[in-house]
Formats: sequence, structure tokens, C-alpha cells
Amino acid sequence: MARRVPKVIAGKNCDDPIIDYKDTEYLTKFLTPQGQILSRRRSGFCAQCQKQLKSAVKRARHLSLLPFVG
Amino acid sequence: MTQIYEGMFLLDNQVVREGWSDAKALVTSTLEKHGGKILSARRWDERRLAYPIKSSLRATYLLTYYELPPEGIAGMRLDFDLSEKVMRYLHLCVDAVPEGEADLAAAENADDFVVPTPPEDDAPDVEEQPEGEPEAAKKAEEKSSDAPADAAEAPADKPADSEKSAEAPAAPAGDASANTETADTAKES
Repeated sequence: MARRVPKVIAGKNCDDPIIDYKDTEYLTKFLTPQGQILSRRRSGFCAQCQKQLKSAVKRARHLSLLPFVG
Repeated sequence: MTQIYEGMFLLDNQVVREGWSDAKALVTSTLEKHGGKILSARRWDERRLAYPIKSSLRATYLLTYYELPPEGIAGMRLDFDLSEKVMRYLHLCVDAVPEGEADLAAAENADDFVVPTPPEDDAPDVEEQPEGEPEAAKKAEEKSSDAPADAAEAPADKPADSEKSAEAPAAPAGDASANTETADTAKES
């Protein structure tokens, strides 16, 4: 059975993206409808950018810019 | 050695309604008390919170850039933790103040700058209202424009429907007769 290929949102070559906790519109692209952060497989980020994304989302959640759930 | 920090403070709208300058001074005075030097401080946004904090649904964000000696950080944190007017705060190290931030802060300090009064918690978002109304109006217009067309088409459709409905009972009847015929033939055999 063929393996299902996940839909990649960002390109594989993430050339220094500006990931800021204040830019909630951009961050929401990398969240599921339930508010979970997408995995690297789906976001297409490198390890370093994925870490930045994680930090930015967690900062935004702390300031109630993004929801923890939903 | 002092480090430049970025601070985002979530202020209660009740405090902001009493006066923006007082609300801003609440944060800046605390920072200065602990040896901080304010580089810029401006109202970032007033928006609906993603989740309620202390039963508040809306709050105002104050974005500041400041220099602070390491000895002052613990005291500053303690003061903001104990403050009920500052609902949340975020304190980050930055290399430099971003370009344009000083201009925005200066624009806010101008005399003609008026800080809008924060709406009540129950009030809908300002951006949603103008978008929602035209869409609703457009839909209403589309419906009204479609309605005569549907009405015009309806008479043409009705005979077709009636024909179908007339045919519909015939088919099962035919089928039923066919079934009965097959049943009869089966009996005969």
C-alpha cells in the first residue's frame, strides 16, 4: 500500500523566515484547527526554524494571542 | 552592562479606560523604578483575547523596548507578577530596537494622537462589522435577484415535474405488473 504523502505547507528550503510571536496570522498557518503545532513533516521547516516556530507559538499563547486549544 | 529588552504587557481595559497615559505610566514607572531606561513604548493593539483571563475577554497590549540592568530584573518581575492591572507580560532579550519602532512611539506621544477608548467585553470586533454587513447585504441582494429568476423558471419546471410525477407512478405500476407476470409464469411453470 502506498504511503500517504503529507501536505507540506512551507517549502523545504525555509530561507530565514521571520517568525515573530506578534504575527499571529502567519503562525496560524502552522497550527491545526485544534491549535496544535504542525510537525516538521507538515510545516516543512528545518529544525532551527521549527524551534523558532515553537517558541513563537508558545509566547503568543501566553499572551492570549493564540488559543491553547481550539 | 545593560541589555536591551522587548516587553509586551497585557493591560486591563478598565485601567486603559481611565486614561491611556496613566496606564502606560504604570508600566514605564515600574521599569524606571528598577533602573530601566525606556527606549520606546507604544500601544500595540486592543483585541479580543484568545481565552479569558481573570474573566476579561478583551485587553490592550503595550509594546515597550527598554534597557535594564541585571539587578533590576527580579524586582521588576515580582512587581508585575503582583500587579492586578498588568494581566500578563512577556520579557525578551533583543539585539536592538527594530527600525520604525521609535517613529511609531513618537507618533503616539504627539499631541494630536488620540487613543481610542476600548470597547466593552461583549462588543463585537470592529473589523468584523463592516465586512459582515456588506456580505450579508450582498447575499440578501443575490437572493432577491435570484428569487424572480427562480419564479420565472418555476412555471417551466413545474410541468416537467408534473410529467415526471405522472410518469413516476406508471413505472412502478409497470414494474409491478412485470413482477406479477413473472410470478404468474413461475406459477404456471
